[in-house]
Amino acid sequence: MAARARSARQQQIEQLLLAPINWIEERSGLVSATKRFLFRKVPRDVSWAQTLGSATLTAFLVQLATGVILAMYYRPDPATAYASIQHITNDLTWGWLVRGMHRWGASVFIILMFLHLGRVFLFGAYRYPRELNWLIGVLILVLSLLEGFTGYLLPWDQTSYWATVVGININGTAPILGPFIADFLKGGAEIGTETLARFYSLHMLLIPGGLIALIGLHLYLVTRLGVVSPPWSKEAAGRERDEVETRKRGLVEPRPRGNANRNGSDQA
Amino acid sequence: MSTSRKREEFARYKADVKNEGKSFFPYAVFHDAVMSLVVVGVIIGLASIWYFTSGEEPGDAGILGPRYTDEADPSSIGFVPRPDWYFFFLFYLLRIFKWPESVILGTVGIPTIALVLLLAVPFIDRGRERRLLRRPVAVVASLLVIASLGILTWKGATAKEGAIGAEAAIPGWIERGNLVEGAEGVIATDPALAGVSPEQAGQLVLEGAELFAQSACLDCHLFQGAGSENLGAPDLTEEGLRGRGVQWQIDHLRDPQSTTPGSLMPSFGSLSEEQLRALSVFLESAR
Amino acid sequence: MNESNEEETRDRGFAEALAPAGFAAGIILALIGLVIAGESNSGWIVLAIGVVLALVFGFSWAYRATRGLRETPEPPPELAAPDVAEEPEDAVAPKRYSRGVFLTGATAGVSGLIGAAVTVPIVGFAVAPAFVGQGERDIDLGPIDNFPQGEFVITTFDYRDNEAPSVNRRTAYIRNNGFINEVPSFTVISNRCTHLGCPVQPAGPTGAPVELETASGPVSLTRVQPANFSCPCHGGAYDTEGNRTAGPPVRALDRYSFLIRNGNLVLSERFSVSEVTGEGANARMKAFKLYPPGTHVDGPDEWMTPWVS
Repeated sequence: MAARARSARQQQIEQLLLAPINWIEERSGLVSATKRFLFRKVPRDVSWAQTLGSATLTAFLVQLATGVILAMYYRPDPATAYASIQHITNDLTWGWLVRGMHRWGASVFIILMFLHLGRVFLFGAYRYPRELNWLIGVLILVLSLLEGFTGYLLPWDQTSYWATVVGININGTAPILGPFIADFLKGGAEIGTETLARFYSLHMLLIPGGLIALIGLHLYLVTRLGVVSPPWSKEAAGRERDEVETRKRGLVEPRPRGNANRNGSDQA
Repeated sequence: MSTSRKREEFARYKADVKNEGKSFFPYAVFHDAVMSLVVVGVIIGLASIWYFTSGEEPGDAGILGPRYTDEADPSSIGFVPRPDWYFFFLFYLLRIFKWPESVILGTVGIPTIALVLLLAVPFIDRGRERRLLRRPVAVVASLLVIASLGILTWKGATAKEGAIGAEAAIPGWIERGNLVEGAEGVIATDPALAGVSPEQAGQLVLEGAELFAQSACLDCHLFQGAGSENLGAPDLTEEGLRGRGVQWQIDHLRDPQSTTPGSLMPSFGSLSEEQLRALSVFLESAR
Repeated sequence: MNESNEEETRDRGFAEALAPAGFAAGIILALIGLVIAGESNSGWIVLAIGVVLALVFGFSWAYRATRGLRETPEPPPELAAPDVAEEPEDAVAPKRYSRGVFLTGATAGVSGLIGAAVTVPIVGFAVAPAFVGQGERDIDLGPIDNFPQGEFVITTFDYRDNEAPSVNRRTAYIRNNGFINEVPSFTVISNRCTHLGCPVQPAGPTGAPVELETASGPVSLTRVQPANFSCPCHGGAYDTEGNRTAGPPVRALDRYSFLIRNGNLVLSERFSVSEVTGEGANARMKAFKLYPPGTHVDGPDEWMTPWVS
């Protein structure tokens, strides 16, 4: 009797907790989509090497969060930019930490991206059908480097200023379009107020917008196409079975799991 | 490899994952979460080390560099900009291409080629073999890329540069190089300095060091680890040991090509006789 | 019966012509009102009347024009599907598809229009102002007596008005070459390296800076005895005329043109120089429009920078 009463109460509580979730699910299908994402199968030999991608994502999210807060205090004007950076770093509560995290998070983000790229290369994970995702990844890398370049000017100190002069002039040496790109980046003939506002807008809005879209696409393709096993794995998903192995497998496990499904998919 | 075999293999992959795979949550996510915690920890750690080892003054660097340098000054006459470290390889490429006609290779050419190659990787390598030992070309290529990026970044990070505001380093030079004692030795032995009393050694060295710092010598020469190595100019840290004598130094400064044919060094004939002598004493005392 | 029918048709024709005409009149009135509004307040009344007229007639026009669409119902899809299958394709299919094709095309056109209407101004706004001159001005550096003959002076000045110093300050190396035919001669060299724009450094001991205030704002003068100009970034070197002597720079240092106004030295436009022959007052050079760093002004690769010349 007591057990039944408790279970009824439990049911009530469960109902209460589930009601909003069910409400959302019925109207959007988001809950089941999240479940499909979370409870999807990955090869069983997936391990630490495959965490570099998600680690890069974490670094990116740190950049987003800290960048949004920094924008509340930073003033993108040559007359005040440098003073606002000093104010953020020295005076504001936790300002040094948020700016420091943004500054060093950028480096960590880039390092992780290179490591992730190296891992994908060594695992041969850019092969069919994942070529498109490799291209998207390279674009993300390029945009991130641009993010680094535009962000470097914002403190408006000597290092920022002259590194940006050199960086813009490097663009300027490109054939045909070079001087055009350089003038566009500077917003005029000389580096000045327009340049800082322009770099701020690119750094804050345009490039991050592109990055978020591309990262979303990247993740969608990862979910859709799956993660590859390490190349040295003995039980890699999609490995070729020689006859002996297949027979042995047949002895141990009467139902040939892989083959049955494989035939099924061939027919489909 | 034929398209149908590729499709077959991918279908096999899908089937294997479905039958043998593990659930992403929580088995794989756990690894991801731990790794992300490490990442956030590293970021906060770097930010803390950077902040707590540096000072409020511009350019007051700690272990991880200063919080900021001086405010931007477009009228500056000699600031050497550094990009963020992940552009060091590009930065050093610029230093490699030291001839006017090759500038474009370092600025646009090589980076563009590298980017195109990177984008083309899945279309160049179309095999199915994933084991490293059976992909010698890919492994060698990646090792070469890693090595060259690493070396360029390292060279960029350690590249010597013209030391702007080198005047601040003068007391250190004089003390570390024991220059006053050296100058006393030079005054005692060098025939060009006959009639100069040893008490003037300190003053001559100081004057010479100031001239040395102001004359952009460090744009091309190294001195006690400061400066840069441009245009094949020698390290001057132990210039006095070459035994050239003060008169040779004065002649060389006034007209470098007369003593060193083919030298790219400009003439410092605009300096006065006293200034040239002080500079030469400074150089000769560096031993 | 017949008469009334005819009258109705005439009425409808009149009404159909009235709506567009009224709409057009409303728009014109509104535009006139906008123009007048700049001069007197009665313009706002005209504008309001025009807008109301345009809205009323516009609505009635749209209402009439779409009546046909609203009154003819679509055939229910359940019925339509077997129709297509049964009837001969050439009889019905083109008619059925034409609407779909038209709507596809129209949607693409409308989207394109929206895209162009939004993108063209945005891109134009982002790009065009970068190529409009930014109002460079003449820079007054004070009396020419401040520039001793035959010596270089590191001169720092504001090159534009109304900007923070961290945008405005520029440096030139100026040497007074004395008089040539009773006309003063100056060598005015920009301090930007022609490799990638780093600041070049005069190689020589400097004096104490002299600060003065001119019509163009604060000016700072520092005497210097340079053996050459050298760039600490990538090792470029120039002689005292600005000619490249070593390193990666592609041409001589840029110069400022100058004039003498009321005994003051005044700098105006910057220009690029391929090479200087001769020295001081006798220097001869070929002047070009200001080029960006890193580009030849007269090399075989000149075609690479068509935007400049």
